[in-house]
Amino acid sequence: MKSIQIFDPALCCSSGVCGVDVDQQLVTFAANVEWAKQQGIAVERVNLAQQPLAFAQNAVVKGFLERSGAESLPLILIDGEFALAGRYPTRDELARWAGVTAVLAAQAAGGCCSGGRCC
Amino acid sequence: MRFLDQPPRFLFFTGKGGVGKTSLACATAIRLAGLGRRVLLVSTDPASNVAQVFEQPIGNALTPIAAVPNLSALEIDPEAAAQAYRDRIVGPVRGVLPDDVVRGIEEQLSGACTTEIAAFDEFTGLLTDTRLTDGFDHVIFDTAPTGHTIRLLQLPGAWSGFLENNTEGASCLGPLSGLETQREQYAAAVSALADPARTRLVLVARAQASTLREVARTHAELAAIGLTRQFLVINGVLPEAEGATDDALAVAVLRREAAALVELPEALRELPTDHVPLMPFNLVGLPALAALLGSAAAQDDVPGAGASPAGRPALPKLASLVDDLAQDGHGLVMLMGKGGVGKTTLAAAIAVELAQRGFAVHLTTSDPAAHLAETLEGSLDNLTVSRIDPQAETERYRQHVLDTKGKDLDARGRAVLEEDLRSPCTEEIAVFQAFSRIIREAGRKFVVMDTAPTGHTLLLLDATGAYHREIARNMDKSGVQHFTTPMMQLQDPKQTKVILVTLAETTPVLEAANLQADLRRAGIEPWAWVINNSLAAAARTESKLLAQRATREWPQIAAVREQHAKRVALVPVQAAEPIGVARLLALAEGGTVAPAAAPSHP
Repeated sequence: MKSIQIFDPALCCSSGVCGVDVDQQLVTFAANVEWAKQQGIAVERVNLAQQPLAFAQNAVVKGFLERSGAESLPLILIDGEFALAGRYPTRDELARWAGVTAVLAAQAAGGCCSGGRCC
Repeated sequence: MRFLDQPPRFLFFTGKGGVGKTSLACATAIRLAGLGRRVLLVSTDPASNVAQVFEQPIGNALTPIAAVPNLSALEIDPEAAAQAYRDRIVGPVRGVLPDDVVRGIEEQLSGACTTEIAAFDEFTGLLTDTRLTDGFDHVIFDTAPTGHTIRLLQLPGAWSGFLENNTEGASCLGPLSGLETQREQYAAAVSALADPARTRLVLVARAQASTLREVARTHAELAAIGLTRQFLVINGVLPEAEGATDDALAVAVLRREAAALVELPEALRELPTDHVPLMPFNLVGLPALAALLGSAAAQDDVPGAGASPAGRPALPKLASLVDDLAQDGHGLVMLMGKGGVGKTTLAAAIAVELAQRGFAVHLTTSDPAAHLAETLEGSLDNLTVSRIDPQAETERYRQHVLDTKGKDLDARGRAVLEEDLRSPCTEEIAVFQAFSRIIREAGRKFVVMDTAPTGHTLLLLDATGAYHREIARNMDKSGVQHFTTPMMQLQDPKQTKVILVTLAETTPVLEAANLQADLRRAGIEPWAWVINNSLAAAARTESKLLAQRATREWPQIAAVREQHAKRVALVPVQAAEPIGVARLLALAEGGTVAPAAAPSHP
């Protein structure tokens, strides 16, 4: 299975509740990561404020920070290679990257798709 | 002394800065060591004077005290602990990652919670590692962790989540995740704290209404966590004999202290309580400390006692600060300081002074003691008063986030969000958000607030851009285009004046200086300092005890004036609880018992 690494900006909480306005993207993504783990997907989040060394020791991430700055995070790597930056992946994308067949339709309880996108 | 009766292994003294925790901890240590017990004294006071008390260097290692057999001491500097923690995280990437990235990381790690948790990390070993403390019968701490810290460590699922998933789960453990100590050790430390057979918590207060309310909150918070074995010490109580001379100030102080004790908050009444009298000497050196708990005869005097304050520099009254404020005709005035220093009273006094001069004023307070705001409502035509209930605001905010942002989450995702919403930042943000709605009025009138966000919080909010987004949306709704963001408004001295409130004592002055440094990091320069509750500013007194205390305030007043503040005002200790327009105006004018006789500001 492919391993997915998410390099977060400097966050106090990865669920994003630490702000005047709670960031919907972070809330949704925290839930998606929980879901992915339950599916057995290898997802790892690295927080700039807590593990900066992990950023410095990875040439891809370090180069990205130098070129684009911390403002352009998050950065997502799949098996160590650049996959996505500037936004968080959807539940769908996580599943596709990991090669897990997502059963999205079965998950929709209240007429709303999971993954933070409403039908 | 009841708190000394059959003491368990661990003793914690807690209370706001300046109430005498360190002196009591030292005195207790000397007393127990004198009974032949082997005692370790641990100070985590950032203004620790334990070394001064025992007249020998101590520092960050177990040090036997030469003058007291059976006693050893250890000093933990929480700021140094936090700095060491920051260096451990940031040091390896400095010069490797871009400078602005490194600065952003450092700010994330500069909050109060980092400092507190780093200090807790330092003394966790003392609670759990028997090798360190086996040689001691008692370990005495001059501080205690706050309810917030303990709750963080107790969050259900926090640790199990941490252990299973490593960094996810309760992610708002924030600074904890980088600490070296084993998670199991934290759990053991918390259970030692909550075990009454091992731990006694001594709440230290003064006989002042606001201090006692603050202590009642601490009591409830820690009791809810399981630290139920609590004792109360009211320190520095003026002996009744001082009123015999009919000295106006002494009589007033006696009356006010008695009133505060009669109205002791309900929650504190059940606790075993001791009163420790005000001492006529400085609590430095062994004889003085031994005398504090009544075992030896008190020395009568120290040099300089009762010295006349004549020739001391005059300091402006609060009313002269208000003269300066009034020149702008409108603006935001925020009072900032640690709990119990009198922010709400001073905010009310400033609001009343401004309203009295004909300006439209909105006073807004988050003080749980609502009576002050209630007595002012409707008392002056151009004064409006509103109150923000921190608990209600936090609950509303939490519910709002769950209802909106959490609505599409599955059960597990919702559980993660709910857990993070219990973080300590949530309350500060919820309250500040409520204040933000009122801040906008400051373009037209005076808005006086009894609280302010810390510089750390502002920087974080600003860095995430969340603050700007919030305002941009509000602008669209109201159609006002020229409005600046709150961060810009707070940084502009024309629009916002932050006033730091402190007391003329070592620890409170140091705490205020720390708040100032924090605001400066956010580009906010405090406009003035107000020294509240000053005996030095009060009427001349025949009471030797009070004159002594007044004399000891001057070095602190000088430090504020010369090292910290751009502008200073001095507010004398009040004869009665300053409630209502008349008393608040008298307070601002520098009055107390007999204003005409006050020699310190001619």
